[in-house]
Amino acid sequence: MPDPIARLIDDRPGDGVFRVHRDAFRDPDVFALEMARLFEGGWVFVAHASQLPAPHDYLTTTIGRQPVVVMRDARGSLGAFLNSCRHKGAVVCHHARGNRKLQVCRYHGWSYDSAGRNAMIKARAEGAYAPAFDADSHDLLPVARFAQYRGFLFASLSPDVPSLEAHLGDARVFIDLVVDQSEHGIELVPGDVRYTYRGNWKLQLENSIDAYHFTSTHPSYLGLLDRRAQAKERDDVPAAVWQSAGGRQVDDAMGSFGFAQGHAMVWTTSPVERHPLFPRLRELQARVGPVRADWMLRTRQLDVFPNLQIASNAALQMRVIRPLAPDLTEVSSYCLAPVGEDAPARRQRLRQYEDFFNPSGLATPDDTVSYEDCQRGFEAGRIEWLQGAARGMTRVGPGADAHARELGIEPAQSTHGAFAMADETVFHALYRAWRRRLSADMGDGVAAPTTPTTPTTPTTP
Amino acid sequence: MSETRAPGPRGPSDAAPPFGIPTSPAGQPLALADATQLLHLEAHSLDLQRWDEWLSLYHSDARFWMPAWTDEHLLSRSPDEELSLMYCAARAGLEDRVWRVRSGLSVASMPLPRTTHVVANTVFAAPPDADRVELRSAWTCHVYELKRREHHAFFGRYEHVLTRGQAGWRIAAKTVVLMNDRIPTMLDFYCV
Repeated sequence: MPDPIARLIDDRPGDGVFRVHRDAFRDPDVFALEMARLFEGGWVFVAHASQLPAPHDYLTTTIGRQPVVVMRDARGSLGAFLNSCRHKGAVVCHHARGNRKLQVCRYHGWSYDSAGRNAMIKARAEGAYAPAFDADSHDLLPVARFAQYRGFLFASLSPDVPSLEAHLGDARVFIDLVVDQSEHGIELVPGDVRYTYRGNWKLQLENSIDAYHFTSTHPSYLGLLDRRAQAKERDDVPAAVWQSAGGRQVDDAMGSFGFAQGHAMVWTTSPVERHPLFPRLRELQARVGPVRADWMLRTRQLDVFPNLQIASNAALQMRVIRPLAPDLTEVSSYCLAPVGEDAPARRQRLRQYEDFFNPSGLATPDDTVSYEDCQRGFEAGRIEWLQGAARGMTRVGPGADAHARELGIEPAQSTHGAFAMADETVFHALYRAWRRRLSADMGDGVAAPTTPTTPTTPTTP
Repeated sequence: MSETRAPGPRGPSDAAPPFGIPTSPAGQPLALADATQLLHLEAHSLDLQRWDEWLSLYHSDARFWMPAWTDEHLLSRSPDEELSLMYCAARAGLEDRVWRVRSGLSVASMPLPRTTHVVANTVFAAPPDADRVELRSAWTCHVYELKRREHHAFFGRYEHVLTRGQAGWRIAAKTVVLMNDRIPTMLDFYCV
């Protein structure tokens, strides 16, 4: 029996072919496997440490389909637990976030401290419990693995994973380029932004590293920037990164890196004068060196496989992707900012962020609606292969290019060229990791789908 | 990409106020019924896609603010320090959005949904003054999305500040509080 996942990726570099099958986006069996292997079987991003600054702070979230609470205990240590009472299963923590020394289950009153330890079982002494009950742990069940890299908190429900450092690999360098923007690190600007779209989660994962869509999906945004640049009297809105003095510039160089773990990065050089960091360029050069300072002012789109995206362009954005169904995805979007940023820079950052990244903004809705158009198009079931991973095929090379070497990183593949090349080979590493993770015999009892799904051969009507 | 969708008249924002903008004698505030009338005119202008009429209800320096939630029952307090879902420091920001919808360049705006706004429970939020009234109201906007022929609704609270200017009573500030803030796909000025 051929591997049902392997058949979805047509990867023949010698023939100049890399194709992704549409079933990867529409098959419920594939989705179930993704949830088991990627979201509930490996490292996923869960929260940022700045969301839980004080002892006993907590927030509730989801890993795959499973309810999770992240807590900071009395001594300041962070932990992540399945948010389910050991007694009868009820969710223990009900709020999105808060501060509590003791989490009390509202059903039968069992309580847990902020380290997840069972603190009390109501009327235990009178309960006539057998010794076997006492032998059980009654603590909240911690996730199998929990670790952080510079404030970015990750968890895995499976213990059988590499270290977080190994999982992140050189993606850490691009997290560094975010965290090191201020001597005092970064913070999440308060304000919840969350939206859903009727499309597969990988459409979001792809779009952020898809340079090809920018000019055709966002002409209304780019047109507005031109319109604002021409209206000299406008002082109601700060200029955006792409709004240089002479109008927009989109002809600059771009490049991409793909990493073996599935992470990917697309960069472009863009006019730096409007960048919120530009006024601090000299300080940055002195602190992190000229190479990294230059990279901080480039447009960078990072995917940390499978559920975290950090975009550094109009502003600094973190997106967390939560798949809900093969054709339904929730996105949580966060505005990141250097701690201690001055008021005018913060204001400019917020306006650029809202204009570009909000589901109520001037650009992201055009992306999100396009994902839905793709998902609707995927219902054209007789078409098997997408043609969206072919640009850059004759330029991409294995390992590090000059740009990777200057950063000291070792990607699986690199490419660079004119902006208009709009490389799509950046998706290759992502889908190679996807195929490897879904196809591998993990010994986890999760069977790969064995039944044929959507017909994959054209039939005569 | 040159398709132009939005119907309705075009022109400078000050040119085409809708019929029925309320007035009050000099030295007297708007009566509550008249102030409510202005809110209803705004709702109709949006639903009729008469964007110029809609813009004409705003002073040129009007602030339009849709704060984000910072906790389950807390809203952003300052648009310059915390995140907003939408923030326009002047009417020009709303004109940007109308331009975008009309440009035919935004796939998110094609086709535009049909909408029905309902504004209710309008009260004075502060003692009215001869040239300024503050209002609080409840709103619902039903959105009928035409690609899928499906309906959803946004709902929340409005806070309007109306002031008397050269042209008469107009909106000086509007805050839109959105209660159901897990947004299905997208949201723009015409669905809140």
